[in-house]
Amino acid sequence: MKIEVPLPSLGEDANPEAQVSAWLAKVGDRLDEGDDLIELVTDKAAFTVPCPQAGVLTELRVDEGADVTVGDIIAVIET
Amino acid sequence: MPKKFPEWIRAGWASGEDFKFTRELVKEKSLHTVCQSANCPNIQDCWSRRTATMMVLGNTCSRSCRYCSVPGGKPETVDADEPRHVGEAVKEMGVKHIVITSVTRDDLADGGAGHIAETIRSIKAIAPGTTVEVLVPDFEGNIDAIRTVIEAKPEVFSHNIETVERLYPTIRSRRYDYRLAIGVLRDAAAMGGSIVKSSMMIGHGETADEVEQTMRDLLEAGVEAFSAGQYLRPTRKQREVADFVHPDQFVAYEAKAYELGFRFAVAGPFVRSSYRSEELLKTEFARKKLGLKAENAA
Repeated sequence: MKIEVPLPSLGEDANPEAQVSAWLAKVGDRLDEGDDLIELVTDKAAFTVPCPQAGVLTELRVDEGADVTVGDIIAVIET
Repeated sequence: MPKKFPEWIRAGWASGEDFKFTRELVKEKSLHTVCQSANCPNIQDCWSRRTATMMVLGNTCSRSCRYCSVPGGKPETVDADEPRHVGEAVKEMGVKHIVITSVTRDDLADGGAGHIAETIRSIKAIAPGTTVEVLVPDFEGNIDAIRTVIEAKPEVFSHNIETVERLYPTIRSRRYDYRLAIGVLRDAAAMGGSIVKSSMMIGHGETADEVEQTMRDLLEAGVEAFSAGQYLRPTRKQREVADFVHPDQFVAYEAKAYELGFRFAVAGPFVRSSYRSEELLKTEFARKKLGLKAENAA
């Protein structure tokens, strides 16, 4: 089953914008839930986004350097 | 090109059912949290443990410190249901310890002290056994306001010194005054009953000597618990970080704090005054001072 991975919300009053700093996994990697998926930076800090479900990473939907907002689909996983 | 942070500045992003539980609860009870309003990088850590630091008296502050992303502007009408909602949220979280903070409300005669006190009492009524830490503004030094909060019997009374004396005019709203802040802590300590705590940011350009002097000033005023963390700029509108201070320096600050006489001290890049603040309540010092039973220490 293909799962689209959105960038999760940090909360209603939180700043939703970030930039992709680095992919921490590549297409074809088999990931467990919680494995490092992508690194983002906001104005405040650098963050590591975990993989939400176990599966194979099949698509990277955003490039390094791209701006992302909460809700944007960042990757596709095949469970 | 994405901005670079030192490799020790890495936080977790939101995920998991417990995080979502906290997020939904905060939304359902119409609550504000400093976690969101300040873009705290610990949000995934704390909210995944079903705890959050609620910020009462609205999401609009009457002062404008240069490191803070809480909005300024027209003060909000005080929500009379907020103390009850906070109490209900704390009960649903099931935590043993909670930190409540607020914006500064210079527009209110008591600076919001009455509402904060009511929030403390509401938590103790709806979620009995919860220990409460309040992180309050300076109430312009109003001793009656300080007493109003102390009389609600929070286990911890906190007012953050935030930075060293020299940097007050640079980084805080001009209504803040270092000596006034020390005075608030001294008054609270003299009233007794609560553990008195203060915290500061590191990384605004202060020297280690200035940090040590601040610790001495706090101790002399009767402050018992101290924490220090790396300043991180919440959004582009706030001032830049002057220094990303190495984790080893934070280790040194924590050691110095204990050496100088704090009963509890914690320092690290991601340490915040509310972050895992229940650790203070688990100490023998806190249990003895507050007469806590052993189960609060678990």
